[in-house]
Amino acid sequence: MLFNIDFNKLLQLFTYQEGDPLLFSTSFFIFFFFTLLLFYRVFAKKKNLRIFTLIIFSLFFYYKAAGEYFLILVIMTIVNYYSGQILGQLKEGTGKRRFLFILTLVVNLGVLGYFKYTNFFIQIFNDVSSGHIDALDIFLPIGISFYTFKGLSYVIDIYMCTLKPTKSFRDFSLYMFFFADLLIGPIDRAADMLPQIQSEINIPKENIGKATYLIMSGLFKKIVIADFIGLNFVDRVFGEPTRYTGVENLLASYAYTLQLYCDFSGYTDIAIGVALLLGFNIMDNFNAPFKAKSIADFWRRWHISLSSWLLDYLFAPLQMKLRNLRIYGNAIALFITFFVIGFWHGASWTFILFGSLHGFYMVVSIFLKNPKTSLYNKLKLSNTKLLKFFQVFITFHLVVFAFIFFRAFSIESGWDVVSQIFAFFQAGVFMQFVKAYPMIILLMVIGYVLHFLPEAWEKWTENFVVKMPIVVQALLLTAMILLVVQFKFAGLQPNIYFQF
Amino acid sequence: MITEKFKRTILDELNLDDFDIEDDTTADQVPGWDSLNHINVILAVEKAFNVHFKGIEVLRCKNIGALQNLVNTKLEQKQ
Repeated sequence: MLFNIDFNKLLQLFTYQEGDPLLFSTSFFIFFFFTLLLFYRVFAKKKNLRIFTLIIFSLFFYYKAAGEYFLILVIMTIVNYYSGQILGQLKEGTGKRRFLFILTLVVNLGVLGYFKYTNFFIQIFNDVSSGHIDALDIFLPIGISFYTFKGLSYVIDIYMCTLKPTKSFRDFSLYMFFFADLLIGPIDRAADMLPQIQSEINIPKENIGKATYLIMSGLFKKIVIADFIGLNFVDRVFGEPTRYTGVENLLASYAYTLQLYCDFSGYTDIAIGVALLLGFNIMDNFNAPFKAKSIADFWRRWHISLSSWLLDYLFAPLQMKLRNLRIYGNAIALFITFFVIGFWHGASWTFILFGSLHGFYMVVSIFLKNPKTSLYNKLKLSNTKLLKFFQVFITFHLVVFAFIFFRAFSIESGWDVVSQIFAFFQAGVFMQFVKAYPMIILLMVIGYVLHFLPEAWEKWTENFVVKMPIVVQALLLTAMILLVVQFKFAGLQPNIYFQF
Repeated sequence: MITEKFKRTILDELNLDDFDIEDDTTADQVPGWDSLNHINVILAVEKAFNVHFKGIEVLRCKNIGALQNLVNTKLEQKQ
């Protein structure tokens, strides 16, 4: 019986299975990853072998997630690499250089647009002209929104002459393929990653501790908090908001905000930890976003790699172009940037509304900045704890409001959530809810309390783990995996950001 | 080298009495010089030195020293 291996099942492990990528939190991933680590250590001094091992593993990882569409990633890598090479050779200011740059932008955005937005535009066309073009059967290759931006930042930096093209196609491929940040970011920059790929690997003990801490924290956020409250609460209420009272809709909106954060930042924590174990420092994506005192502050803390990408490559050039309009130029550039942030998430009116809401918040806030400052000074509120509390409170609720539409199936359904909250609140239901679903409330409290703890406490905990002997760290990680298994009752949930 | 006039223009625009600006100081290290205010600083510098930057020239500047060099180049071109 020992050798009665089901070869079909074995084969499935190594081939693409639709909707079943190699999630970081599966035992298959852990098995493959430890095998990779083993080879990686053996080849530590042999740079070529080490990098190729990582490239092959990354391609396998991506093939497991996207099937034959991994070819798109490979083709875009070749396009961006050679475009970068030629841009680096052509003389600055020439028409040829400009033409090649625009062509590369069009190819990158065209491929992204085709896979992501074709059906959306067909639908708009049908609605407007009452025509009947059939929707196309288009598969959205996972991660395309993320790796397109990675490739673009490389080409744009070279065009701007702030980065020299790399001479190594091998190194550029690893930058594009690196599995840790491939599926849902962080959207790393070539300027940060290429030097790391080129240098010798050095993994200090401190980084192993940091990685352990991040992987534990990521598993906890993703599986214990996000998946549990998502499946057991958020999905139900957002599925049929009108069947629930305002209290439940409000709690579900808070719960979704926490779920999205824990889902996405949990994945990012694991990605950063996994990369650290391979000797790479990838970008951070979150910095306690709900502690933000303004919407601008929120975007410096939430999905940082996307917001800073758009700040550098979209907002800054637009702002420069419109600078003679001063504050109005800023307002237009801001609104366009946030509209794009919304649309980047997907071809849907709900995401467009989400982006536009944030654009609207930002525009209003720049016009209110001076009157607000003088009002605070008059009331002697500046720099007080009370003011800070209100700023955090209001910012948080503006964020939650926009996320309602981000989550909802349609704008109408999002509006149902809002109108239930305002028209059918039923405060008395709260106590019944706590009694009926104590686990949901407990996890929400734990999630938010941990989030709002002072930063110094988190640093202290991290250092505490970092200083432990490796054996204790391994035990702790095992304990966390055991805890997580208790919560995995309904199977693993794919990360929310996989759909973007 | 950061000139006194260049430094004064930036500090006045940001309502700062004094702040040490070196060649390798970056905008985000200067209080009040954030991504929104950035445009006001650039406009103030253009006005003070009577020069006009191309967008890409400013976007390329990695630190304040680079912006000073850009101003110097523009002034040389005018002569």
